[in-house]
Amino acid sequence: MDNPTTNSAKITTFCCNWSVKPGLRLSNLSTDEEDKIIVTMCTGRVGPELVMQAFEYGAWGVLICACPLGECKHDANYKTLRRVLLLKRMLSQLNIEPERVRIEWIDTGEVAKLQNAVNGFYDAIEKLGPIK
Amino acid sequence: MAKPKVAFYWNASCGGCEEAVIDLAEDLLKVADAVDIVLWPVALDFKKKDVENLKDNEIVASFINGAVRTEEQKEMAELLRAKSQLVFAFGSCAHEGCIPGLANFTNREGIFERVYKTTESTKNPEGIFPKVKTKVPEGELTLPEFFDTVYTLDQTVEVDYYIPGCAPPPDIIMNAFTALLEGNLPEKGSVLSPNIALCDECDRNESKPEKLEIPEFNRVHQIEIDPEKCFLAQGIICMGISTRSGCGQRCINVNMPCRGCFGPLDGVKDFGLRTMAGIASIFALENEENLSEEDLSKLMDKLVDPAGLFYMYSLPSSILRRKRMEEK
Ligand code: SF4
Ligand code: SF4
Repeated sequence: MDNPTTNSAKITTFCCNWSVKPGLRLSNLSTDEEDKIIVTMCTGRVGPELVMQAFEYGAWGVLICACPLGECKHDANYKTLRRVLLLKRMLSQLNIEPERVRIEWIDTGEVAKLQNAVNGFYDAIEKLGPIK
Repeated sequence: MAKPKVAFYWNASCGGCEEAVIDLAEDLLKVADAVDIVLWPVALDFKKKDVENLKDNEIVASFINGAVRTEEQKEMAELLRAKSQLVFAFGSCAHEGCIPGLANFTNREGIFERVYKTTESTKNPEGIFPKVKTKVPEGELTLPEFFDTVYTLDQTVEVDYYIPGCAPPPDIIMNAFTALLEGNLPEKGSVLSPNIALCDECDRNESKPEKLEIPEFNRVHQIEIDPEKCFLAQGIICMGISTRSGCGQRCINVNMPCRGCFGPLDGVKDFGLRTMAGIASIFALENEENLSEEDLSKLMDKLVDPAGLFYMYSLPSSILRRKRMEEK
């Protein structure tokens, strides 16, 4: 895998604009560019290629924060879940820890849950270290 | 006027791409008339030194098939690149790695161990393995180095055009030759087949479902396949959704699902992942709302060998390129 750039943030987080962004604003999480928290219009847009591109750009882990199942207006979070489940299987076949990709369900007001999700994932990934 | 010089070469391939050129039948005679072939190991007796003796860029076009997995193949690709104005990656192995590229699920050690030791038909009690250099009474014997990783042609040298397919069909090859001879080639970097998905030209497209509510993934040997109906509607994964067209639906016509040998449409970075994303979005499960993440996970387990399936022809050109191997 070529590394076009490396960045200091070890995890890349994709957040849904509708359910997660409001909470993100209220949280103490930094949304500076180098902290790699990326808001997308819907997690349905976070395809496996995008996830893998985050790894290509140096991420050690990728977190996807989506609307709780059944609550996505576009019904895309099931799609995202199916894709993530398959991606994890493909990653383990390629000897990359599937735990490096995580999906969390977060509702509009769940600020603490969002913070915990990001921090918890960061800790787990820090333990794993970079992809060798 | 001197005829344009052309070279054909093979790297890690099965010979099918050579056969594909022969399959041009009478058209091959037309091509042979219009060009001066300076290298074609499968058919003509030119040697490496004949190519070395040419001036840089003296060959108008080199058509190189096969992936790159040995030092010798790399050397030949570099030599032909230096001597050619244009390099064509001919066929899926050169384009994307193809079946030889599945070796990227292991490495040299794994392959040698299997081939020279553990296959059921191997007897090798002394543990003799190929070596780059071997001393014999007469002197030193050499073999080209066998790489751990299989590479595509464009990971080895700069490639100007891609002729897709395993193997490329005659009309696609002839179109490329004609465009070259008539000076009608498109922009450099182009894949020389239509930039539309196979589904868009498939006879079964009318029965292709938008959404599929099938609780299982079926495999071709498990059900009787209706030859009129889209494979996806029968629960069989067909990769025509994301595969470039131009093959003339060869597999579909013999009632087999597409496995993606023509590779992706323009602009796709990882063909296997793009295809997986498409398949995963179609497989909407009935009553999904009532299923837990775990239930869904169990269902996804029914898709056997997803990496092998979605990367059947493209592992070396994927973002990861290969399986990570444990360091020893
Ligand atoms: S999925 Fe396969 S069978 Fe169905 S329309 Fe596409 S190419 Fe044809
Ligand atoms: S149907 Fe698919 S796998 Fe078969 S020849 Fe065409 S592109 Fe290749």
